[in-house]
Amino acid sequence: MVLHERQELPDFVREHNIDNVTLDIIENALKNIRHEMDRVLVTTAVSPIIREQADEFPLIADRQGRMVVGQFGSPVDTVLENSPYKAEDLKDGDVIALNDPYMMEGSTSHLPDILLVRPIFYEGDHVGYALQWGNLMDVGGKTAGSIPIDARSIYEEGVRMPPVKLYDGGRLNEEVLRFFCHNSRTPRETRADIMAIAAGTAAGAQRVKDICDRFGKETYLEACDALLDRTRTSIINLMRQLIPEGERFEFEDYTDDDGLGNGPIKLKLAMWREGDTLHLDWTGTDAQVPGPVNFLLNHRMFQMFAGVFLISAVDPTILFNDGYSDVIKVNIPEGSVLRPVEPAPLSNRLVVMARLFDVLGAVYAKAIGFNVSGSYGTSPNFVYSGVKKSGEPFQTMEILYGGIPAIPGKDGLDGHSWWPEFLAVPAEYMETYYPMIVEEYAARRDSCGAGQFRGGCGIRKVYRFLANGRITYQDDRHHTYPYGVAGGRPGAPSKKTLIRKSGASVELPSKVSDVPVFEGDRLVFETAGAGGVGDPLERDPEAVARDVRWGLVSREAAGSEYGVVIGEDGSVDAAATESRREQIRSARPELPAFDHGDLPPLEEQRRVIAETRRKFNEWLSHELGAARANGRG
Amino acid sequence: MAYNVAVDVGGTFTDVLIFDQQSGELTEGKVLSTPDDPSRGVVEGIETVCRKVGISFEDLNLLFHGTTVVTNMILTNTGSRVGLLTTKGHEQILLLARAWTPGPLYGWMSLQKPDPPADPTDTVGINERIGPDGGVLVPLDEGEVREAVERLVGRGVESLAIGFLNSYVNPAHERRAREIVREMYPDLSVSISADIGQEYGEYERTLTTVVNTAVQPRTMLYMRNFERSIRERRFGGALSIVRSDGGAMSTEAVAESPIQIALSGPSGGVTGSAYLAREIGIKDILTFDMGGTSTDVSLCLNGETPVRRDIRLGYFQFKSPAVDVHSVGAGGGSIAFVSASGALQVGPASAGADPGPAAYGRGGEEPTVTDANVVLHRIPPGVALGGTLEMDEEAARRAVGKVAERLGMGVEEAAEAILEIVNENMHAALRVVSVERGHDPREFGLVAFGGAGPMHANALGRLIRSHSVIVPPTPGVMSAFGFLSSDIQNEFPETYLRTAEETPAAELRATVERLIAQANEWLDGEGVEEEGKRFDLYADCRYYLQNIQIPCRFELDELTGEDSTFLRERFEEAHRQRYNFELPDSPLEIATVRVVGRGTIRGVSLVESEDGAGADASEAVLRTERVYFGGEWMETPIYDRGRLRPNHTVEGPAVVVQDDTTTVIEPGYRGAVDRFGNILIEEA
Repeated sequence: MVLHERQELPDFVREHNIDNVTLDIIENALKNIRHEMDRVLVTTAVSPIIREQADEFPLIADRQGRMVVGQFGSPVDTVLENSPYKAEDLKDGDVIALNDPYMMEGSTSHLPDILLVRPIFYEGDHVGYALQWGNLMDVGGKTAGSIPIDARSIYEEGVRMPPVKLYDGGRLNEEVLRFFCHNSRTPRETRADIMAIAAGTAAGAQRVKDICDRFGKETYLEACDALLDRTRTSIINLMRQLIPEGERFEFEDYTDDDGLGNGPIKLKLAMWREGDTLHLDWTGTDAQVPGPVNFLLNHRMFQMFAGVFLISAVDPTILFNDGYSDVIKVNIPEGSVLRPVEPAPLSNRLVVMARLFDVLGAVYAKAIGFNVSGSYGTSPNFVYSGVKKSGEPFQTMEILYGGIPAIPGKDGLDGHSWWPEFLAVPAEYMETYYPMIVEEYAARRDSCGAGQFRGGCGIRKVYRFLANGRITYQDDRHHTYPYGVAGGRPGAPSKKTLIRKSGASVELPSKVSDVPVFEGDRLVFETAGAGGVGDPLERDPEAVARDVRWGLVSREAAGSEYGVVIGEDGSVDAAATESRREQIRSARPELPAFDHGDLPPLEEQRRVIAETRRKFNEWLSHELGAARANGRG
Repeated sequence: MAYNVAVDVGGTFTDVLIFDQQSGELTEGKVLSTPDDPSRGVVEGIETVCRKVGISFEDLNLLFHGTTVVTNMILTNTGSRVGLLTTKGHEQILLLARAWTPGPLYGWMSLQKPDPPADPTDTVGINERIGPDGGVLVPLDEGEVREAVERLVGRGVESLAIGFLNSYVNPAHERRAREIVREMYPDLSVSISADIGQEYGEYERTLTTVVNTAVQPRTMLYMRNFERSIRERRFGGALSIVRSDGGAMSTEAVAESPIQIALSGPSGGVTGSAYLAREIGIKDILTFDMGGTSTDVSLCLNGETPVRRDIRLGYFQFKSPAVDVHSVGAGGGSIAFVSASGALQVGPASAGADPGPAAYGRGGEEPTVTDANVVLHRIPPGVALGGTLEMDEEAARRAVGKVAERLGMGVEEAAEAILEIVNENMHAALRVVSVERGHDPREFGLVAFGGAGPMHANALGRLIRSHSVIVPPTPGVMSAFGFLSSDIQNEFPETYLRTAEETPAAELRATVERLIAQANEWLDGEGVEEEGKRFDLYADCRYYLQNIQIPCRFELDELTGEDSTFLRERFEEAHRQRYNFELPDSPLEIATVRVVGRGTIRGVSLVESEDGAGADASEAVLRTERVYFGGEWMETPIYDRGRLRPNHTVEGPAVVVQDDTTTVIEPGYRGAVDRFGNILIEEA
């Protein structure tokens, strides 16, 4: 038995022939490399999604392809398995590029994300890999931005690149790049972004060589092993400290729909600890869906997410890496929405990914009672494309942000990014380069989930279009609520309203693609707010009064949700507040641990979702017909 | 009237440096800063050093003042109460703050976001709209402006900021709104965003304007009080305030735009180093300024001070030109600890000045970098920091012992490990400004200063492999030295956003000439003589839609062609050096056109010492002492910096002591004193 376990230990678990100080120096140097790769990419990339929103992630892997430093786990082994190349055939100056998620088991999970893998050589010896991926503006497919909401297979979502050599021994494979970019609606931007990502991996590789120069190759390789080992040990210690053994923790929540009228879609996670192994099991999660919200979840990436949660909550100085991949066991049922079968469509996986983080966070909250947060609002993509009056085609790509959840002791931020280092695109940028006016960009009043600590508000952004074109977006939480925790209330669902120049207005569903818009039309985009934490009646009345003054909470909601009575001059009426709170307290039922909002039974939700989609499709074909008839489709 | 003086106000000390124009002699002094009223410390400091030199205020010609008045107000949010007028629909621009949250994953959990610098309650949206091309989409509702101003003033707002969308293209609405405010309340301080930054990006421009407005009243009050107190002491010369970009300007100009002096202090060390580099003929240098809590590094090419276009202060990032320094949380006070995974880490937490390192004997117990230096005798026993502060070696050993125990090492070994880790962090910072930008540090000298810089300079020079390490004669007051070398300077940018291919050079020329005229007028206002004026012209370029701006310098007479593609070669050379690729098919966008107007005033000049000596420096040896290097105690000579003369050579291991710092020369290295009194450390 003991012998058997020993055999299963990863090769890096052993005594390391490296002194601690050298190891610490190399750890610091590797962390710095990662930031450097980021900077190279962000500064040189062209498309607004990388340039203004910084959507890209670098990593350094060891010779076996295991991530030594990075954030999302390394897919090198699966990439090579799916390629005609063997690790030993690779040479200095090679760069493998691919964007097909099925060829890297979901390490990047939809076609607009391209991954570049550069083997690193030192004095002729292979010492590791530098990887970087970035989100391209467009890789073809049926809809501008390559995130159609109604694709039924991945073939409709864009050009698929299997692992190919973008650089062969330092020489750019111009043909393959030309071929790939030719399939994009934004070939120039796509080319520039790929070059920028390649430059990022080159920066990473060069720095690893510099470390080998300084400390010697053998020391560097030993350090990689020691760093994996060190993180593994730390994670085992954190697990033992924090997660009680033998208890099973479960949580489930829903994504709206798949864009074709199927939903809501359940994600269910169970977690338990068995000795030094943490089990995470997605059994009970709904089956894959016809529409493109399937999220092909890479095992190793999910192990990373699970570990990062522990690390961030307890000791953020621990290095993230693949060292602990054998102690976190993950089960993702084949054919589920988290492990769909090729060629299931994947483009709009962001909505399921967001729910995955909610569910993971809630399971941890139950297990360790630490940093229990409400649910995040929404962070949809939004694309507007068409032809400018000058005849020049255009295409925007923007990510919008919702409310950040409350955590114990702190309110959520209003309209901020859940993802690190992302930035909202300035209105002045959008207006300068694209035919639109951003009429309004504000926190959305009363969208925040009430609580002793309130969730963040979603945003309200109003666009006026100056050219005929099409819009596509992928939002969620239209039919479900971002939950609140420990008496905290859920955030408001998302909402989109299209107002025609004529004044006619229509509420659009959770996700749409290729809706025709015309000069003078307006889109009111409202993202979801976030869930609150704790009993709203315990919230400091002064904080509620400030929220009212700042336009985040209405006077009415202050009274009904928080029991805070605000006087004419904007100040708190203490006596009236006391009695209002008493009155609410005595009349209400016991507060739930998780408040998912007032939802009809599941069957009824399914019916409403299908009906909404059916009506929308009718409306859309009518609009498209009318546009064609007017000669402006 | 033959003396110039520079004053640098820091958190703990106010540094004063007086330059004697006849003899070329520099006299330095330090007094404690007086945070309650910084000008008191400044006046006391000047008096103290004047006494040392044997002169009075009347003998002073130029006075350069670097101040943290604005910095502190921003960091502590103690500026005046600002009302903000925005375009209707964008009232919550400062609250939404471009949605940024820090890394890594779940970084939002630990973000402590300050309230917006203009309270949303004091923010009013106005019905008006300028389009991206400058056209008026919605005319300014003047009635609404009046009503809003009335209401805000009634509510107690002390000053007003106006930030409308696209005002950088057409400031007409902002200007008209300001006119209305001035008609209504002639004494109310008011700024418009088009004056603060003529660049796109409404959040940064509005934020910068609001903060500028918030700090204005108190900055002006400070300037008035300060000027009055020096005039009372019969100072008859010219007073210049040091800007974040290393230039200097009058107090009147500061009143217009106090945000320009937000990083007044840190700029001096870099300008001073760049000046030094020019004078001693090592034109490409890295600067290394290590203080108590942080280290600032920069790279100067061809003896020029590098300037960036934005600054970060605490949570906020502003649009304002500043010397391009990269900071890391590594300094003498940085605390060493062992993380849960057993890794030794140093900083960014710092023991600060109070309680300070354990060795200060003020109750600090955490092991710091300074403690490690004390344990290893890099700060030799019996040497008092700043001439007064005795080091408590036992306390330092106790503190470092805590880390040593966790690591299973001896105290000296742990101390050396602490230095190696902190050096690695500073090394990474030096790489950011050099290697990452395509420069080979082996072609650079490393100028080291700050209280702790010379102690770590040799190690950093070894790690980054710079060809020599330069420790100037007054490393503790390098900022003040830099102030003395400043030019009167201001920058006039304009967002351009046109491609070089489609811009006839004559049109670019018209813009440039207009900016030169503005710069010229400003220099006239600052009293700069014709012959001292200089105009540097830049086109900040990028590939169409890229997020960088690479400054491309040009001359007026180059603007002759049918287009402006003469910039392309310049841009691509820089782009290739930095990123290793180019995009020949991509149009070249001129993002910003910029004119920097300078007026030279020569506040300082280096004078060669005539007091040369032979190589033998033994006359400067004070004693020998055991100092720990590379795992062993070595008997090491301790030199007195004051007795070192040109041509003296100091073989490592050696420690050179002076009032405010010690310079460490490692075994295998040699320090040579040059004709200006700098120590140049090179491999022996």
